Amino acid sequence: MKLDPSFIWTAFVQLWSAVPTTLLITLVSVLVGFVIGTITALSRIYRIPVLSQLSGAYVTFIRGTPMLTHLLLIYFGLPMIVDGLSAQLDLGWNSAKIPMIGFAYISFSITAGAYLSEVIRSGLLAVERGQMEAAWSIGMTTPQALRRIVFPQALAASLPNLSNSVIGMLHASTLAFTVSVVDLNAKAQIVASTNWKFFEAYIAAALIFWGLTIFIERITGFIERRINVYSKGGVA
Amino acid sequence: MEYGFDINYVIDFIPKLLSTLNITLLIVAGAIGLGLLVGFVVALPRLYNVPVLRNVSMVYVSFFRGTPILIQLFLFYYGLPEILKLIYIDISKLPVLYFVILTFGLNVGAYVSETIRAAVLAVNRGQVEAAYSIGMTGYQAFTRIVLPQAVGIAVPVFANLVIAMLKDTSLAFTLGVMEMTGKAQTLGSLSQHFIETYIALALIYLVISITLERLMLVAERRLSRHLRRDSGEKNRFFARRRKRVTLGRLTRELKPGNKEVPRYEA
Repeated sequence: MKLDPSFIWTAFVQLWSAVPTTLLITLVSVLVGFVIGTITALSRIYRIPVLSQLSGAYVTFIRGTPMLTHLLLIYFGLPMIVDGLSAQLDLGWNSAKIPMIGFAYISFSITAGAYLSEVIRSGLLAVERGQMEAAWSIGMTTPQALRRIVFPQALAASLPNLSNSVIGMLHASTLAFTVSVVDLNAKAQIVASTNWKFFEAYIAAALIFWGLTIFIERITGFIERRINVYSKGGVA
Repeated sequence: MEYGFDINYVIDFIPKLLSTLNITLLIVAGAIGLGLLVGFVVALPRLYNVPVLRNVSMVYVSFFRGTPILIQLFLFYYGLPEILKLIYIDISKLPVLYFVILTFGLNVGAYVSETIRAAVLAVNRGQVEAAYSIGMTGYQAFTRIVLPQAVGIAVPVFANLVIAMLKDTSLAFTLGVMEMTGKAQTLGSLSQHFIETYIALALIYLVISITLERLMLVAERRLSRHLRRDSGEKNRFFARRRKRVTLGRLTRELKPGNKEVPRYEA
């Protein structure tokens, strides 16, 4: 078996068809994770009685176990719950109707939620209390102050961490192949095994991921410069 | 589908999974050991600004941080034998475990090098100057002054790396290594009780993660004890520094309708 550099390009072209799936998984998991993360982070900051303990346990559990176990637990556990419910309530619905990619969406969102919860929490805690006081002093309600004053600043403060999380989820989406979703990694396996050129196919996949990562980093850098326009330093 | 969830399986599977714990820990230890070595070597050219080597280490770090670890795993497993075949070294008979440790080690190396770089740069430049001023050589200043402080700074990040590594070992099963996740899949397919198996697996990982975290916290406390401020008269100068006040504390103290007078530490 000889190394075939020209096949890297062939594989590269074939792998493009799987890029949207990978990006979609990343996008969905980060967006849903962001919502989950915001709710859990706020309930922990405000120490809402039951919710904050639940959130703490959720974040600890998810961050303390590999993502693969979440995926496998959802993959095997969710059908059981869905089937059980539909049998009891007579919904006429069964787990076979959940598309494979649905498991990836649900599981990755749960994972991303825990990691983003910590990112959002640290971002919110980085905003000084004086900002909240100032907002109240001009008559804003707490939700208004949070939405208009605290969140934008918290978002700016946690942007680097957010971008790391997005990149982390992009890389983690390669796990989707274990539940037979054809993402970039699974496609690379298919291309590799049909042509019996494993090394070349994975080089192509690695190059695509590398490119995507650098792209995300650049975008973040751009947004960061835009967001920080208000604080150039100096007097005025 | 009749599927009886049986908690007894979880209890039953834990010892069975623990029998493969040594492989998981071996991968973690091997990868971290290799990663520390690689990371230190990779960080040096960037710290000392060595012209060409600096760029090589930058590309190295960018590649390993920019591609998924799973892809790296496959890349090394399939690619390394082919590359080494070109120079007539046959490693196709080597156990998979070595490839896994090598890949994870190189991956951790990239993160470690960034950690080391950040930690060394975080040590105040004045420390080095002070060391020079009392007549230390460059090497002495590094090993006696900069390194101990940098290690203290790097430990929390390093702890995260170790725990992340522990969780990444679950990927080794894709190459057929019989570590905990691989074992769990075997147990699951044998007994057809997948959920119980994976709950047991998750519990074990959770306990190990928490244990590692605690251990690292002890190390962190010990290594940064020079920064600890004792309460009392001794360090009044530092103790008077204004505490950073945060949104969480503020909202708790200043909840509308809260009659208590907010307490300000100045």
